[in-house]
Amino acid sequence: MSIVGRNALIALAITVALVATVAYAIDYLNGQRIEELSAIEAQLSIDTLSLDTQFSLLEAAPCDNASSTDITGDLTDLGNRLSYTEDQLGSNNAQVTRLKQQYSLLEIRDYLVTKKLAAACGTKPVTVLYFYSNAGNCPNCDKAGYALSYLRDTYPTLRVYSFDYHLGLGALETLIGLQKVREEFPAFVINGTSSYGFTTLTDFEKRFPKGALASTTPATTRSTTKAL
Amino acid sequence: MSPELLAYPFLFISIFFESFVLVTFLSRPARAARARGPARLDDPALPSVAILVPCLNEGETVAATTESLLALQYPSEKLEIVLIDNGSTDNTPEVMARYALNPRVRILHEEKRGKHHAVNAGIAATTADFVGCLDADSFVEPDALLQIIPAFAEPVVAATTAAMSVSKPNNILRHMQNAEYIFGITLRHVLASINGIYVTPGPFSIYRRSVVARLGGFREGHKTEDLEMALRLQKNGYWIENAPRARVYTKAPLTLTALIKQRTRWTTGFMRNAGLEYRGLLGRRRYGALGTIVLPLGFMAIAGGILVFCLVIFMLIERGVTAYQLRLGIPLSYAWLPHGFGFDWFYLPSSLYILLGLAAMAGSVTMITIGKRLSKTPGSLVRGLFAYIFLYGLIAPLWLLRATTDVALGKNRSWR
Repeated sequence: MSIVGRNALIALAITVALVATVAYAIDYLNGQRIEELSAIEAQLSIDTLSLDTQFSLLEAAPCDNASSTDITGDLTDLGNRLSYTEDQLGSNNAQVTRLKQQYSLLEIRDYLVTKKLAAACGTKPVTVLYFYSNAGNCPNCDKAGYALSYLRDTYPTLRVYSFDYHLGLGALETLIGLQKVREEFPAFVINGTSSYGFTTLTDFEKRFPKGALASTTPATTRSTTKAL
Repeated sequence: MSPELLAYPFLFISIFFESFVLVTFLSRPARAARARGPARLDDPALPSVAILVPCLNEGETVAATTESLLALQYPSEKLEIVLIDNGSTDNTPEVMARYALNPRVRILHEEKRGKHHAVNAGIAATTADFVGCLDADSFVEPDALLQIIPAFAEPVVAATTAAMSVSKPNNILRHMQNAEYIFGITLRHVLASINGIYVTPGPFSIYRRSVVARLGGFREGHKTEDLEMALRLQKNGYWIENAPRARVYTKAPLTLTALIKQRTRWTTGFMRNAGLEYRGLLGRRRYGALGTIVLPLGFMAIAGGILVFCLVIFMLIERGVTAYQLRLGIPLSYAWLPHGFGFDWFYLPSSLYILLGLAAMAGSVTMITIGKRLSKTPGSLVRGLFAYIFLYGLIAPLWLLRATTDVALGKNRSWR
């Protein structure tokens, strides 16, 4: 065999090996991401259960010892990571779907704990349930998600819970039924009041209770609510 | 289908070609070429050489070019310098006249009929064993000719190319070209070892005069007479060698307009010569690496450069519009400023497209680094590498697009 032929074969083998190595490295990295997400979710699950248990144990004075603030911050971080992973692996990936289901469960539990604490402690948190769709029937979901990220970062006491409407999770379907959320996207439930569609941030802000978006210090850290 | 998928074949081919070059660099013929030392100045067997300097309005640089040739280490009785005025309208004839009394310099005046005519006139005027060309905007190192002559040891070798770099790069565009030229040093060294060279550049390529005369001298060659001559030599079964330590410096275009014009000429010359006049070389095994790898990949590189550029522009516009629409109505301080600076491995880019692009870029940087060490080219390459990495991919498609359009429409542009 000529030197040219031999070297071309060696080069081809190197190229194939390089591409395979890169593909394997990406797969490995994505696997690590999934593992990290699972670990975060497991920890959050424990934290939420612990908070729930604390709440039950200290029914007499729950406001002194229990706060879901830390969990909410972790949930936001988890949401960002999950959103990035979904971008990488695609929304049809089975592991992504499983993680999203767990994430949604954690969100619902945090939402319930927040409501319980509010009732027990007399606080008035502003909560937003945001329902989006990945089925291609929500052209404004990305804009709505970004606007909610801005509001959440700017007003840290605002609690935003985002849900994939079609996730097929029993608890989520129950929540949708209880809140009577129609299949129109994006859908919002702000402090129990439903609304649909998104045009501009200014119009969207009008849906919030008066004074709900005016009293807190702007946040400096980044977090993004994407259409999970 | 994601538009990124269209780029994968070209990324694969880029990495394959770089791997091929690096593997061949380590092969025996290339190692033997690197081991070849310069000729001895006192060797009585040194052949006679005539260096032809065709000039068209090169009054500003021809003196420096001539001085660098007069400083060549070579027996004076065996070295002739032929300055050929190709119908200049500036002070080129006056500058040339200063050397009229130098016995090593011969001056010819020709009508303006193209560079190939000027070179042919020089060839006709000399009886030297070898003739070399040096554009009047280029300068040579004193030992360049002694480095080149041993490459002609085999009679089948009809031409030898030198190691070009940019003379005193003084802006970002010239630094970029310098890196690209040094990339070319590695490439030519490797391709020469498997007889895959497709162009014998104007700056200090040396030819066996008898072969050039036998083949009928230089032709217009679609304004790339050096490329046409190289392909003609290859077609007729000759070898083209390379001397990676024969350093020659050339003045590169200073402005983007001048660069695009020059490269459009080179690229149209390649497409018209290799794709039309010498299409018989394409894909033919009897022409070895040139026919089966170098020329086909040359065309693929043009197509890939244009396609990847268009894809990147399309994706940038698409993502830019999406990002703009997403942020519409959000305060600017939040929407367009970064929110955090911490490193998190989780968000490391892990797209196959990006990582293969980085691998191809790493291959290019490796070849540039090898070229600099191999040729011992002086000067720092930091700015050159920076410009090459960040600018070349954005600028090169401009001349590739222009050249492809010109060839498709049959358009001919002036030399300058």
